[in-house]
Amino acid sequence: MVTVDVREPPARTQQRSRGPRPSRGYRVFQGVNAVILTVVVAVTLYPFINILARSFSNERYIRTGQVNLLPRGFNLTTYRHVMSDSAFWTNYRNTLVYTVVATIISMVLTTCYAYVLSKRHLKGRGFLVGVALFTMFFNGGLIPNYVLVSHLNLRNTLWAVVLPNAISVFNLLVMKSFFENQPVELEEAAAVDGLGTYGILLRIVLPLSKAVIATMILFYAVFFWNSWFSGFLYMDRSDLFPVTVYLRNLIAGATTGSDQTASSDSAIQIAGNIQAVTVVLTVAPIMLVYPFIQRYFVSGVMLGAVKG
Amino acid sequence: MTEVSRRQLLAAGAAAGAAMLGLSACDGGGSDKKGLDLSKNKVGAMDKYGVGDQFKATEPVKFSIMMLSNPGYPYKANWPFFNELTKRTNVSFDPTVIPLSDYNQKRSVMISAGNAPMIIPKTYDPDEDQYIAGGAILAVSDYLDLMPNFKDKIAKWKMEGDLDQIRQADGKFYLLPGLHQDVWKDYSLAVRTDILQKLNIPVPQTWDDVHTMLRAMKAAYPANYPFSDRWSIPAAPGGGANCLLQLLGEAYGVWAGWGYQNAQWDASAGKFAFNGAMDQYKQLLQFVNTLVSEKLLDPESFTQTDDIARQKFANGQSFVICTNAQELVNTYRKDLAKVPGATVVKIPVPMGPVGAAKIGLRIENGVMISSKARDSKNFVAMMQLVDWLWYSDAGQLFARWGIEGQTYTGNVDDSTFKLSPDVKWAGINPNAPKSLQVDYGFYNGVFAYGGSTKLLDTQFNAEELEFQKVMDGRKTLPLAPPKPLTADEREQAALWETGLTDYVDQQTLKFALGQRPFSQWDAYVNELKGKSSQQYIDLINSAYERFKKDHG
Repeated sequence: MVTVDVREPPARTQQRSRGPRPSRGYRVFQGVNAVILTVVVAVTLYPFINILARSFSNERYIRTGQVNLLPRGFNLTTYRHVMSDSAFWTNYRNTLVYTVVATIISMVLTTCYAYVLSKRHLKGRGFLVGVALFTMFFNGGLIPNYVLVSHLNLRNTLWAVVLPNAISVFNLLVMKSFFENQPVELEEAAAVDGLGTYGILLRIVLPLSKAVIATMILFYAVFFWNSWFSGFLYMDRSDLFPVTVYLRNLIAGATTGSDQTASSDSAIQIAGNIQAVTVVLTVAPIMLVYPFIQRYFVSGVMLGAVKG
Repeated sequence: MTEVSRRQLLAAGAAAGAAMLGLSACDGGGSDKKGLDLSKNKVGAMDKYGVGDQFKATEPVKFSIMMLSNPGYPYKANWPFFNELTKRTNVSFDPTVIPLSDYNQKRSVMISAGNAPMIIPKTYDPDEDQYIAGGAILAVSDYLDLMPNFKDKIAKWKMEGDLDQIRQADGKFYLLPGLHQDVWKDYSLAVRTDILQKLNIPVPQTWDDVHTMLRAMKAAYPANYPFSDRWSIPAAPGGGANCLLQLLGEAYGVWAGWGYQNAQWDASAGKFAFNGAMDQYKQLLQFVNTLVSEKLLDPESFTQTDDIARQKFANGQSFVICTNAQELVNTYRKDLAKVPGATVVKIPVPMGPVGAAKIGLRIENGVMISSKARDSKNFVAMMQLVDWLWYSDAGQLFARWGIEGQTYTGNVDDSTFKLSPDVKWAGINPNAPKSLQVDYGFYNGVFAYGGSTKLLDTQFNAEELEFQKVMDGRKTLPLAPPKPLTADEREQAALWETGLTDYVDQQTLKFALGQRPFSQWDAYVNELKGKSSQQYIDLINSAYERFKKDHG
């Protein structure tokens, strides 16, 4: 890698004749950077590709550890098998519903809260910020939460998953600082032109905040898609579980396979390819969201970070 | 918004436990006053219900239950099991379905939050300990009169000693365990019989025979380690090669490997001794060390993953590995299919200084009953159902094999039992269209376990039956006397035990691998004393004496 870099400079300087010639130290830095990032990419991508390869492989090759980057004993039987399981699709549908509803509710609540907090003239603003921050550091604990949700009769409903997690304080603060950094003059001008508070929010502020909104949607959607704990804790019927609980159970079933005490409950090993297929089917949709949102994602995070 | 981590969960559980302590004061008083007067709890119960009777509630009743959903056969509400149960007993269940992956967590939360269903199955001793102080779990030993089948099996199979193992310091037990007529041994060594034939060696009977066999294998294949073992990861419980050490432990009369415990009953002295410092433990380690130093046992046996050990066995690099009946058929035979002429069997567990004997608990995981269920008007009917379904011969047969004529034919007692040809279970009828567990809901780990040896034998193929016959012929050794600790003592003992067990595991590995010479054994015993092994054993012995005095 380094030798290539050393030989390249003349060509490069010709191409970019206008820019200053990069210093030797900078080129070394770039070289090292490239190497490290390539390693990071490889390490990050490998598990995905491996899972993908496993999902198309024959169980025999998985068991003997022969599947790496390419499927061996290619087949689609496992996909057909998993996709024919109605419980999987029921839980999959649940995850979709939970994610969509929860993301919408979270977005509405977080946006409103953040917008209000971004107004310096608001009375009691410090208190409202404090309330949010408090929940970031303290919480009632698992069992009180369970008791609360039970007594509100939220168990076995969508709301048990949606409401307790509706506002993420971190996301709230990112949005708040984004709003704070929008020019006040814009809103003042809109007010002069006769827009009320809601008009300003809906017609001026939000259209200018697409970047942060897209980022927040992504954060929330990924969180709700991946979350399994509330679904597991508050749902007592298997037809209400999100698909992540289904998946977790599947994988746990395999890892407890050689349990010495499992004398009667003959520990059934879930085949490696069934696990892989389920992982692929579960992860794929949320991964497909990234390319479409990535543009906003990068700028949104940068805005929050640099100016805030 | 934050996911709850395991650690937070534990902390929360502990906090809840503490909170429940406060509640228990009030609860305890209440139920004591109620005493054993059951006149208000008899709705649906049978007046006359005894051993051999079919339980049927006098009116339809519904009981809430925790229902573990096994990923191998996920819960289905329309399983024929449930329909048939209702038909036979008039009982239906209101289940809280919990995935196997996190069953214990949710059980803890529900019990601590006071929201537990009436019937809480699949609890492994000593998991029930944590709930007792809170008063959320019923002392079922007070209500055994409602359970004729349970009492009958305890008496018939002489299981008082086993039951004593789960008694608390108050002399009661809070878990209705699964009952096995005899100790069931499943784990042993898998040996390549084609190699034995080639070298003209008989199947080994004792560990000395195993030693001789390994030497012969080594002589014929000097480049290989003839024995490379598995079940070392995850490390706990045990420090590595856990199955092998457990088998050896039983042969030498000490706890080792998977089954490691710090307190070992010393019958000749009439008290408990520290297991990891006993002479038998030293002899066991010397034997393992001999195997390692003669390069018969792969030193990686103590650290490698199961997959690596399997690959060595599959590739013919090793000829001996630990197994159970399932692994033999599902793993080793399949792996070896590509090696021409390779055959493998599970040999009877090799014997050691203890001789032709076996030791083990005859009780296993079981059912807890929520204290709240005691107040239900259907309480007696519920106990009768639990007794019928989990402990009567008919109930056990039903939960395990289903409906005669539909899922099975024949009879357990005269060995004519057969699974119907269109039903598959484990290795039986592998090409049948329907699965006993997935499609019918029978042989579900929540309901089906324990039972007579004859019932157990129905699930074995001819080869495994042969193995079981040999093991049945061995004498079952008596269990150690009970030594229940109080809650405070348990905490203190746990603190000591953590350090002690870790240290024994570490040093076991060092002695076995020859990294520490046996001339340092006395120094090692003294190091254990430095870690309070003596105080620990004194505590255990005082608990033993106390229980003997109070309840003996």
